[in-house]
Amino acid sequence: MTQVVLFNIFNGLIVGAFYALMALGLSLILNLSGVINFAHGGFLAIGGYVAYTLIPYVGFWGALVLAPVLTAILGVLVERVLIRRLYGRDPLYSLLLTFGLAFIFEDGTRFIWGAQSLPFQVPGWLMAPLSSDYFFLTGYRLFMVLIVAIAVIGLFLILSYTKLGVRIRAGTLDLETVSVLGVNVRILRNMNFGMGVYLAGLAGVLAVGQLGLQPTIGSSLIMPSFVAIIVGGLGSLPGTLLGGFLIGVASGVTTVFFPSATEAVIYVMMAAVLMVRPRGLLGEEGRF
Amino acid sequence: MSKDPISVPVKRRTILKAGLALGAMQVASPFVTKSLADEPVKIGLDNPATGTYAALGKNELIGCQLALEQINAKGGILGRKVELLVEDSTSGDAGTAVEKARKLIDRDQVNFLLGNINSALAAAMANVSYEKGVFHVVPGGHTDPITGANCHWNVFRVCNTTQMEANAVAGTLIKTAGKKWYYLTPDYAFGHTLQAGLEKAAAALGGTKVGGDLTPLGTTDFSSYLIKAQAANPDVIIFLQAGDDAVNALKQAVQFGLDKKFHLAGAQQELEVLIGLPPEARIGTWVFEWYWKQPNVAHVNDFVADIRKRSGGHVPTARTWFGYAATHTCALAAAAAKSLDAVKMAKAMQGFKLPPEVALMPDGAFYRAAQNQLIPDLYVGNAQAKGSDPEDLFNVTDVVKGITTAGTVEDTGCKMTWPA
Repeated sequence: MTQVVLFNIFNGLIVGAFYALMALGLSLILNLSGVINFAHGGFLAIGGYVAYTLIPYVGFWGALVLAPVLTAILGVLVERVLIRRLYGRDPLYSLLLTFGLAFIFEDGTRFIWGAQSLPFQVPGWLMAPLSSDYFFLTGYRLFMVLIVAIAVIGLFLILSYTKLGVRIRAGTLDLETVSVLGVNVRILRNMNFGMGVYLAGLAGVLAVGQLGLQPTIGSSLIMPSFVAIIVGGLGSLPGTLLGGFLIGVASGVTTVFFPSATEAVIYVMMAAVLMVRPRGLLGEEGRF
Repeated sequence: MSKDPISVPVKRRTILKAGLALGAMQVASPFVTKSLADEPVKIGLDNPATGTYAALGKNELIGCQLALEQINAKGGILGRKVELLVEDSTSGDAGTAVEKARKLIDRDQVNFLLGNINSALAAAMANVSYEKGVFHVVPGGHTDPITGANCHWNVFRVCNTTQMEANAVAGTLIKTAGKKWYYLTPDYAFGHTLQAGLEKAAAALGGTKVGGDLTPLGTTDFSSYLIKAQAANPDVIIFLQAGDDAVNALKQAVQFGLDKKFHLAGAQQELEVLIGLPPEARIGTWVFEWYWKQPNVAHVNDFVADIRKRSGGHVPTARTWFGYAATHTCALAAAAAKSLDAVKMAKAMQGFKLPPEVALMPDGAFYRAAQNQLIPDLYVGNAQAKGSDPEDLFNVTDVVKGITTAGTVEDTGCKMTWPA
């Protein structure tokens, strides 16, 4: 029993790392632009499908690099054409827009690639478990955690040391002042949206390595990421990371004791956090 | 300056007259419509087009469309053209499925209702069709009560009951894989009755359950369940998931190397799932409800060729056949009863044997009287990474006659009452 619990905690951290990757992209967009991007799951699915389409030409590694970039370009276009018009209005407008986009993306992928699950293959040597005892620690999952770590560190470096990053952070705190200081807020938001969608595309390629590639993949992965943000705290990227890990472990441990509540437990956690500490574990007071 | 057309005052009397005219049209219209012989016969399909069962729904639809073309080419139903009306029931929302069923029956006045893949939705739709007295065929929702404890005179089913699938595969599994079973079961009607059926069938053969978990429908990450399953050290891990859930579960189990430690198997398996899996995850012992490679069975090759033309070269799956057989059932019922009266048609279908070009199985298929359940052949075998065709992914080892798996009508708990 102890072993099963320990295994599930460990496994929960791996699963949580993935949720965190998705949630970071969401959080990035939410913090700067105040857009609750319900279409994030749709971007994730597109990342997966684009990778599947590219693999015959550029191989898995090429697709891993290219698919998130192409998804990010789509993100930049969507922001430029649709979302930009809604800044400054009630967040409900952009929420409704992205909610609609999520359906369009899901049906769009179904239209282009079909409803049938597609067999997405990753290189064989990544597939095997590293040890017979810790069988859930496969090369691919370790690789996934590594990529998440690189993405997170990369994101923190960009936000801390580049001009774009400093502007994004400043904009998150006070967009008006940043704008008055001569920063082009439109481009800033556009780039920031692209970065968030890049993370969704990356999560998409990683996800389809271990899940079936189907049009519903985005909608089934999006909710845990929202919960991660709310539990971790709005406005805080470290909080988002923490939220991802927490819900991964919580649902893993729940499997041991009450398996049919594995999905419900994360919402119970969210409700508890909202009641006791509405700003989330590491969130800022008074934001949203 | 011309008057603003929007602000033209409308007289109260004008509105009253318009209202009266509209009302009169409602009452009068039946007398001015075309004669009944010109009106098409309508079949309403209320099945998933979106969500986790979208791929299965698409294939059932293709089967329905082929049958429809064949029926119309032969002069339709009772000399009238046949129309197929399609609604998206969603994959898991019973409220939507029921609302669409009511719309098809009340507004579109369909003569036949078809659906649903999701057992829970099929059961909910059956309550509506029973209340309205509409001839209803369930192409692919497997849970037992639909033709068991909750059977109705008007509800027919093409796919097998979960108990039939369990009985068909249990013996093979115990013989080849072992007696200690661990269940991973989707947490809704289909999974519950399938697991109960397997437990019952295994117990009769000396098999035991060493554990099991219910997984929510739409689960993506199965790793925590698999950790528990391997800790229980069973002979066989039984996967009862369907659709996209099955793809996710099997893909992860094989990545964890569990196929090298245990036998991975289950009851129902579908070609759609095997196509969605990478080759290394196409493993295990399963039951197929129909398979496209039956070289010695009459009409099967024609059916495969016809479907390939309509589906971009893809072969028919059991789902395609469900849709095909369900649609033909409607036409056959009307022809046998020489009427579109639901009671007469349902009575005509008691014990009705499907013609070979519809049954497409070595031993044929018939609707068992007093239960309305189709009794077909079942195909037991193993998934295979590759076959003679890119979509030949199942190796049939045994064709089981459905009647040997179906028990008696009393066993099913069906007590049918007919309208007076």
